[in-house]
Amino acid sequence: MRDEYLLAALRLGAGSDPVPARVSAAARAAFALHLPGGIAAPPVEVPAPSGARSGAPGTDTGPDEGRDEGGDRDGGGPDELRLRRFTAAGLTIDVEITVTGGRLEVAGQVSPPPGPDARVEVRTPHIAKVRALTGGGHFAVAGLPAGWVSVVCHRPGEPPVFTRWAHVGA
Amino acid sequence: MTGCLPSIANGHMTDDISPDISPHHLDQDAWEDLVARFEGRMWAVARALGLSSSDAADAVQGAWLRLVESLDSIRDPDRIGAWLVTTTRHEAVRLARRARGEVVSPSGEVPETAVPDPAAAVVDADFGRHVWRRVDLLGEPCRSLLRLWALHPDARYAQIAVRLDLPVGSVGPTRARCVSRLRALLAEDTGAEEAS
Repeated sequence: MRDEYLLAALRLGAGSDPVPARVSAAARAAFALHLPGGIAAPPVEVPAPSGARSGAPGTDTGPDEGRDEGGDRDGGGPDELRLRRFTAAGLTIDVEITVTGGRLEVAGQVSPPPGPDARVEVRTPHIAKVRALTGGGHFAVAGLPAGWVSVVCHRPGEPPVFTRWAHVGA
Repeated sequence: MTGCLPSIANGHMTDDISPDISPHHLDQDAWEDLVARFEGRMWAVARALGLSSSDAADAVQGAWLRLVESLDSIRDPDRIGAWLVTTTRHEAVRLARRARGEVVSPSGEVPETAVPDPAAAVVDADFGRHVWRRVDLLGEPCRSLLRLWALHPDARYAQIAVRLDLPVGSVGPTRARCVSRLRALLAEDTGAEEAS
């Protein structure tokens, strides 16, 4: 038995530290985020890791041995930029998230480009923003709250493909 | 330590953990029933890992989102409760690592779908009350120390040391010793139940 399970059982038994109302409300609201028939895109490793800040999604930037010297790798501080790649159903969704002033800017690319009628929906538990894609499959959304993020690609006549939820701290 | 998983808790969880719903036919009402049934256990596990209220909220929400994104692939609705508790634990551990400044790879942020941990069955209010009765059998300082540890989630070792008149450096080792004694009592219960 793990210590944390024992401790959790003790607290439950004592009725101490109850679930805050906002946590319950968020849990109840989460069901509305279900996409029936949707295809979950799991994350895959990106060949060129996020240290190469100048690299665009999908660009092979190669090793960047000097990247630790800039002092900006603070593991989650302001202006953090990381590339995440998700694939499913023949689609690759690259997502780059920048944290500025506690808000998220989400930019990315769907490849191969899914065509002019496709839409991308960038979702957080509380807000979703829909964007058309450029001819090259790029999209960008700004001003999202920090926390859980998922990107959905909607294509006419196809089931939606969604990235699994990822957490981005402020 | 799964050997000391008390069968008393298994019994309770078997009832509680079968919500009589299939994930494939969930509606909002059934979902809210799931929330009411399991959110307390999920919250308690996240907090027991030392997360702040804000981080624990993120961990619990993450577990619900994992369920939402996995609804079409869950095959074993009877184990949703254990799955939710296990998934909350995974998300909480990851958030705690991030909070400590450890770098987590993007794929490490989004784990494979959790395998329900049978040991999660002990995260249960009835079993918790059973454990409290065993805590009361311990002498001092164990009884008071475990009470402070359990009932004051944000208490620091220094505060516990003042309350119990112990050197700060001995709070951690004393707690470990008391938890061991508590586990031994619980293991005796399991042995007694198995023998009967």
